Amino acid sequence: MADPLLPSTRINLEKATVLVLDDNGASLDILSQVVSGFGVKQLFRAESVMDAQALIRTKTFDLIISDVQMPVTDGIEFIEWLRREGGENNRYVPVILVTGHTRTSQIFKLRDAGSNYVVAKPITPKVLLERIVWVAREERQFIECDSYIGPDRRFKHEGPPPGSDGRRKDDLPAEVGEAQAPNMSDDEIANMMRPAKVQV
Amino acid sequence: MTVRKFRPPNRLANMIKERGGILAKDAIVAAEAGVETLREASLAALDQTVAEIERRFGKAAENRESESFEALYLLSSRIIDVGQFVSETGVDKAAVSLCTLADSLAEAGVWRWDAVDVHLNALRLLRAMGAELPAEQRSAMLEGLYQVSHHKADEA
Repeated sequence: MADPLLPSTRINLEKATVLVLDDNGASLDILSQVVSGFGVKQLFRAESVMDAQALIRTKTFDLIISDVQMPVTDGIEFIEWLRREGGENNRYVPVILVTGHTRTSQIFKLRDAGSNYVVAKPITPKVLLERIVWVAREERQFIECDSYIGPDRRFKHEGPPPGSDGRRKDDLPAEVGEAQAPNMSDDEIANMMRPAKVQV
Repeated sequence: MTVRKFRPPNRLANMIKERGGILAKDAIVAAEAGVETLREASLAALDQTVAEIERRFGKAAENRESESFEALYLLSSRIIDVGQFVSETGVDKAAVSLCTLADSLAEAGVWRWDAVDVHLNALRLLRAMGAELPAEQRSAMLEGLYQVSHHKADEA
């Protein structure tokens, strides 16, 4: 898991090419101002998925921030398209979805769209910057299969869902089970934590 | 089913740690200052949206039965979009409740106009004087809205 963002952390987004997509002009202005404030110089704006798709066909992006609720084609369908048909330069780009409300029918669709993170609106610069840095630092694998393309949706290492044995070879059972050895003594635990000089 | 697991190159990861750049705290301050320049325009957009909801879905609307649940949902979500400028009034939370209501009405396929009307009344009141209301009254009002928007017919 990535380290938290500290006020003293230095970030450099000057060379990043960023696409922001929102059908609501007022919201697009806010997103654009926030991203510009972070030092992004190459910022592209789109007010519809169609405009965004046209940009993706001609430019290479380093980050995409998209609204979810949009008429005609929404942000979920856009990300699904991006992951399958966005071209090799843009298919794997980090995506942050922003949404003010999630419809009950869309909760699972949102999870399975293939974005790296979902941020609640109204956005605040602090939260958005934390998430941008998070997606830049994260080391999740990308999963590509018939039903899903995007970052691994399991990233908390909490084991398989309760009641299931898991589908992966490296899944460990959720239950810890009976102890196989006596408890460690306080000294043994302290020794494991003790700072030690190492030769490198 | 074939599953491919891999680590695609993350260009953003390399760029963000290049020399130069700015401190995170300065980036946040700059972004907040930029957003602040949009306050007036955003509030104007919010008021236009509330007025449009009122015109199309209010009691006085001539043909509100023919409007779509989707239109009410999208208009309500536009209020949330600029909600940071009215967070002290509760308007943003009332808009979230109205989105929940529109979503629930769409699922049921039936309008509950009393529920819509109470949300529009609340939006109007909160926009006008939400910030001056005692916090407990504002919370109680929003709690009432949540109960209305989360109400299911089969729970009655």
